[in-house]
Amino acid sequence: MLGIWSDYILPCLCAFLACVGFTLVFNIHGVGKLICGVGGALGWLIYLLGGSSILAAFWASAAIGLFSEIMARLRRCPVTGYLLVALLPLVPGGGIYYAMRYCVAGDTQRFLDTLLHTFGMASALAVGAMMTASLFRAAYPHLHRSRPAR
Amino acid sequence: MNYDKLLNISVELGCRLMSSGAEIYRVEESVRRLLQAYGLDSPEVFAIPNCVIVSIATPEGHPITRMRRIAGHGTDIELLERCNDLCRRLCVQTPPLEEAQGLLDALPGRSYAPWQVLLGYGIAPAFFSPLFGGGVGDTLSALMGGLAVGFCLLYAGRFIGSNSFFRTAICSAVASLVSLMLVRLGLGRSVDTVTISVLMVLVPGVALTNAMREIMAGDIISGLSRAADSILTAAAIAIGTAVGLAIGGLF
Repeated sequence: MLGIWSDYILPCLCAFLACVGFTLVFNIHGVGKLICGVGGALGWLIYLLGGSSILAAFWASAAIGLFSEIMARLRRCPVTGYLLVALLPLVPGGGIYYAMRYCVAGDTQRFLDTLLHTFGMASALAVGAMMTASLFRAAYPHLHRSRPAR
Repeated sequence: MNYDKLLNISVELGCRLMSSGAEIYRVEESVRRLLQAYGLDSPEVFAIPNCVIVSIATPEGHPITRMRRIAGHGTDIELLERCNDLCRRLCVQTPPLEEAQGLLDALPGRSYAPWQVLLGYGIAPAFFSPLFGGGVGDTLSALMGGLAVGFCLLYAGRFIGSNSFFRTAICSAVASLVSLMLVRLGLGRSVDTVTISVLMVLVPGVALTNAMREIMAGDIISGLSRAADSILTAAAIAIGTAVGLAIGGLF
């Protein structure tokens, strides 16, 4: 029980609060804050369950993409805000940092390793979120068309 | 109908949308739909991240074009949602142009006070540090580092300048210096964890996501320019952090 708490629940809670912090920076108000937080927590949970790999990041961002699209449809708001904030915990900031550390230390092998892993994470995030968004749009084209300027 | 006025209103709306961080297709489609709602046949809209061009032909066949350049901007979701709502409303109701202009001028809605935004810059890194394996001390250090970076971004713009590469580099240097100092003072445990947590507020997640959205939507020019932006930002973070750690290593 304690394992589940410290392995999954606490990190998700932190991801939730971190995303809520970002909503202040991006000027998101009201229910939007909650949606962003839940999106971030959901993404992080799936990332943890998937084993923190590049593939896990892909599934996590796919889930975030789907979640944000549904929420945007429900609230009739642009999807951008929810997607941007919820994806932020997964962005490989650590990768950039460690790549820099290895580069400065002259450890070329690990530098290239980390750099490629960082690029892999970034592409997984981008492709995952975009794929679900495109599939969602293909599945519900009438929603897209019947409302102006979605 | 006064087509000059209509053109001005539509360009203004496109400009507002763009500066709130909307995607290219949203800007182009919103402006096009607005002009079509007011009875123009084939308005042409072209947008890239820092420029909007709208060209219309009046029913008499007289062409009018207007271009607006948009300065560097952040992301303001509240403004984006309000612009989107307004555009939808204008398209359905098509009120007289004076009224539309009034609605457009009344657009900027609520925004957080500077201290709240600063708090946001502090909260986000603080809660990122447990995700990267930090303890209580690291969380507090990340909070302070985030506040320092937020302070630089919000208040020190005059000294840092408006160049976003340079600004990101300086903020990353501040982030790594503050983290190094706090760890030396014994508050944080790991420089790496604290620095990474603080860097999360500078990381080009927004630019990266936007870049992929543009490319998927078929706006290749804008997508590539945003992708270049995100790679440059990442490079600026790496350079800034390296410089910060090097300066910190001197003492």
